[in-house]
Amino acid sequence: MVVKIRLARFGRRNAPFYNIVVAHARTARNSRPLEVIGTYDPIPKPDPYDDSGRLHKDIKLDTLRAKYWIGVGAQPSDTVWRLLSMLGIMEPKYRNTEPRTPPPMPREIRGDSKPQDEKN
Amino acid sequence: MPPRIPGPSTVSSALSRCTVPSASSRCQPQQWPATQSKASFSTTPARPRFTKIRRVFRNWINGPGAVFRNHRPGGTNYLQPPNDVIRNVDRPFPLNPHFKSQPVLDDRAREFIWSKIIREGETVKAVSAELGVDIRRVAAIVRLKEVEKDWIAEGKKLAKPYARAVLGMLPTHTFREDRRNEPFEPINELHVHPYTTKQIFWPTSESRHFTRADAAKAFHPKLLSADERVPHPELIQMEKELLQGRPLWDASVRFKESAMESERKAADKQLAKAALEEKFTTRVHSDRFEFRFKQINSENVGPKGRARHAVGWRYGAPYYDRSKGEIKIPTSVP
Repeated sequence: MVVKIRLARFGRRNAPFYNIVVAHARTARNSRPLEVIGTYDPIPKPDPYDDSGRLHKDIKLDTLRAKYWIGVGAQPSDTVWRLLSMLGIMEPKYRNTEPRTPPPMPREIRGDSKPQDEKN
Repeated sequence: MPPRIPGPSTVSSALSRCTVPSASSRCQPQQWPATQSKASFSTTPARPRFTKIRRVFRNWINGPGAVFRNHRPGGTNYLQPPNDVIRNVDRPFPLNPHFKSQPVLDDRAREFIWSKIIREGETVKAVSAELGVDIRRVAAIVRLKEVEKDWIAEGKKLAKPYARAVLGMLPTHTFREDRRNEPFEPINELHVHPYTTKQIFWPTSESRHFTRADAAKAFHPKLLSADERVPHPELIQMEKELLQGRPLWDASVRFKESAMESERKAADKQLAKAALEEKFTTRVHSDRFEFRFKQINSENVGPKGRARHAVGWRYGAPYYDRSKGEIKIPTSVP
């Protein structure tokens, strides 16, 4: 069975808090995992006594254990992949942000359209 | 005057006018709301109740109590018990001798403390020992004065008349630069540690020199002696040096030096703690937030794997954050 590194949601309604866990892929989200290797607080917070408006997110992570589990074939979920790529443990997944160009039209349509243009 | 309520004749006439179909809206019989005719409220003024207590009080305040009518600025205005010879200045309730209103530091004293620490750069401990103000109170005064000066710089309006009025009615204590100041409160009081509240039978030989340090060790191996647990251990050292024959000026200079040293040590400790925290933290800036990754050891979970300080929310253990009797407001400031 596939071993995954994923998030388990704890906290209350509108106050999420995640454990970063190593668990078998087919087990329930909040079931007892193989190992808890960290936490992720997704709610951005300001520093105390800081009025600049900058926010930060707190993540605790045992990077040694994370590297070990990656090394033995555990698969991070997309969110955990994003976090691990910030630390340089995983290669970042980049979304293709180039503007999409439509594929070229088939030749026979192109061949038909040109004479029509000439007629007009 | 009670509100005028339209009589039935008026209403009926209005309704009869509206029976004729017309496009204008003035035919609606809504000149007086319908609720008003149902709930009539009384506008009779309340009967003035001049009770016996009120009458007696008025007799007193116009007669023997006339001196208390106006507050004399700069002093308390507490009642004088009839069989008391000394003027009552600290008992707001004259029949309760145990309730005493303690003096507070006035604005001049607080400004003096602030300028000593911020302008002249003296240590909190030295100022506390010199003026006889608790260390925590000195620190709080400096913090609040800083807030006040921030507000003044921002152009915020302060409630000065209110502060002046309240301070004018309380017993106050002040400090002056040019004269010898009376101490405000006892500063070197020992906090009663819970380890010291139990009764211990500790047999020792009569010839043994049993000191406070030994007593502390008898209570708990890690408990410091009373001389080290007081807020100003440097003062005890100074008194010891005076007893050994050192001149006062020399001892006080040494006291100030050791107070400075102890404050520097505390600051260094705080800095070292922050530096250690920073060493295990990786900061990654995205375009919106800063992600702070703190390196931890996830195997540090205690002998049964269920330690309270272990990382993350615990499995199979109830979380008591919403139970009755739990403190839900923060109990400390960062």
